[in-house]
Amino acid sequence: MKILLVDDEIELVSAMAERLSLRGIDADWTDTGEKALAMAEECEYALAVLDMKMPKISGLELRRLLSGKYPTMKFIFLSGHGSEADYKAGSAEATSYLIKPIRIEDLVEKIQEATQ
Amino acid sequence: MSSTASDNLIGLRFFGKISASVSHEIKNIFAVINEAAGLVEDFTLMTEKGMPIEPERLKRVANSIQGQIQRGDAIVKNMNALAHSTDEDIQKVDLVEALSLTVSLATRMADMKQTKLELGDCDPASAIVHKFSVIQLLHGAIAIALESMAPHATLLLSLSAGDAATISISIPGQGINLKPDDALLCLAQQLNISVASNEINGGLDLTLERVD
Repeated sequence: MKILLVDDEIELVSAMAERLSLRGIDADWTDTGEKALAMAEECEYALAVLDMKMPKISGLELRRLLSGKYPTMKFIFLSGHGSEADYKAGSAEATSYLIKPIRIEDLVEKIQEATQ
Repeated sequence: MSSTASDNLIGLRFFGKISASVSHEIKNIFAVINEAAGLVEDFTLMTEKGMPIEPERLKRVANSIQGQIQRGDAIVKNMNALAHSTDEDIQKVDLVEALSLTVSLATRMADMKQTKLELGDCDPASAIVHKFSVIQLLHGAIAIALESMAPHATLLLSLSAGDAATISISIPGQGINLKPDDALLCLAQQLNISVASNEINGGLDLTLERVD
């Protein structure tokens, strides 16, 4: 099982992928929605962890594009805001919603729950 | 400069918008530092299990933390400068400093649109104005320009000083004619700043009376 992490904060998303790999979770990462769509063409991802606010293609829009092409893919949203509007949008469209900064154990738990 | 309740609300909205953007960026910085600290913790656990750490990996994490702290420091300094721009009603304002601060405050907005802000040539110039409102006006002009721009385009801002000081905002090589909206014109009028379309480069020229 492979997962995809997408966040425009490169240092955040690369460190997160490294920490997940140390916990036995195979994670690719990228910093834009466009690159994420291209990567999903090349590799089968069981789950995508998406930042909600990204340039050009937002996390919500990326989720719609990915789930349209890959209906079994699961989603977890990350948000820096924790605003009520983000929470409602994120909760409605994803398996889970986490507010940054996150605990890696919480993310691992959410990934395991979503992919079981 | 007299202000009405409506003007105050518009100014407050601008301050709120900047505060929201800054707080979002600071949250991102915390998130990066949090992951970097988590990686160090992971490396420590690895060594406890007898797995050696490559010094380069630790150095990379340390550099990341230092870089994020510098990023956060710059953001907080800019926010502090904006907050203090409300200290006095009217004051002698260094226009290059005000323009530079506005560009810094608008950078995240530009990033989200995948565009760039570039500070071009700036002659030294000062004006007697309400600093916060000038920053609000410049930010508003930048926001109007960004709405017209395609991804990867650059917005050029410069300041020329003669008898008056003129801040020029243009999108070189794109053939885009910028038009001020009513809110921008209204604020400019209150500040005695003229806003005109530049027929040569299609940009906006904001002209103020300068003082030595």
